Amino acid sequence: MRTVVTMSFCALFLFTGCVKDVKPWEKETLAKESMKESGTNPLAKKYEEHIYFSKEASRGGNGVAGGGCGCN
Amino acid sequence: MKAAIVSFFLLTNLIAYDKGDTISDSIASYLGCNGDKVYIIDFFASWCGSCKKEIPLISKANTAIDTNKVEIIGVDVDKDINAGIKFQNKLKGENSLNFRVINDPQNLIISEFSPIGMPTLYYVKNKKVVGIITGAVDNIDEKIINDLKEME
Repeated sequence: MRTVVTMSFCALFLFTGCVKDVKPWEKETLAKESMKESGTNPLAKKYEEHIYFSKEASRGGNGVAGGGCGCN
Repeated sequence: MKAAIVSFFLLTNLIAYDKGDTISDSIASYLGCNGDKVYIIDFFASWCGSCKKEIPLISKANTAIDTNKVEIIGVDVDKDINAGIKFQNKLKGENSLNFRVINDPQNLIISEFSPIGMPTLYYVKNKKVVGIITGAVDNIDEKIINDLKEME
C-alpha cells in the first residue's frame, strides 16, 4: 500500500505530461505581433468584426482580458 | 516519506530571490557586484515592450546618481544573442543605454533570480537583495533616485 502511495506521488509530480510553467523571461514568442488577438493585421480583424456585426446583429465577446505577459 | 515531500517542495522553490535573500557568490562574481556599492540589476529583453520604455529612463537615472556608490547593471535575457546585441546597439546609438550590460542567452542568471514578471529591477547591497521593482513603472528614474535616497 505504501509503495502504491509513493509511486502515485511520484507520478503526480514527475509525469505531468505537457504541462510546463512558462517563466516571464520565456515569453518571447508570446510577445510577437502575430500572437496578438487581432493578429498581424488589426484592420482586417476590424473588418471581420464589422461583417459579423452586420450578419448577426450582435457584437462583442471576442476579446481577451490581458495576456498576463505585461510586455506589450 | 514526509521528508521526501518537504525536500521536493524546498528544492523546487530553492532558487528564487526575494527581498532579504543573499545572492550566490558565483552569480555575484559573474555580475561583478562584489563591492560595497548598491548594485541595481535590471533584467530586460528586446521583445519586452515595457523594458524598451524603461531603459532610457534608467539611463537617465544613471546620469543623476553617484556612480562611486551605485552601479546599474543590465542583464539582457534574449536567447538570440545577436538580437540582444542589435537591440543594445540601437539603444546606444540613440544615447538611451549608458550602463553595463551582461548577456544571459542561457537564462542562467535570471533563472536564479526568478522574477515574477518583466522587466524587473533588483537592488543588491553586500550581495543581499534590498529591494525589488517588478513590472513597468512610470517615471522609474525618479523612483530609483528616491529609493536610493531612502537607502542612505
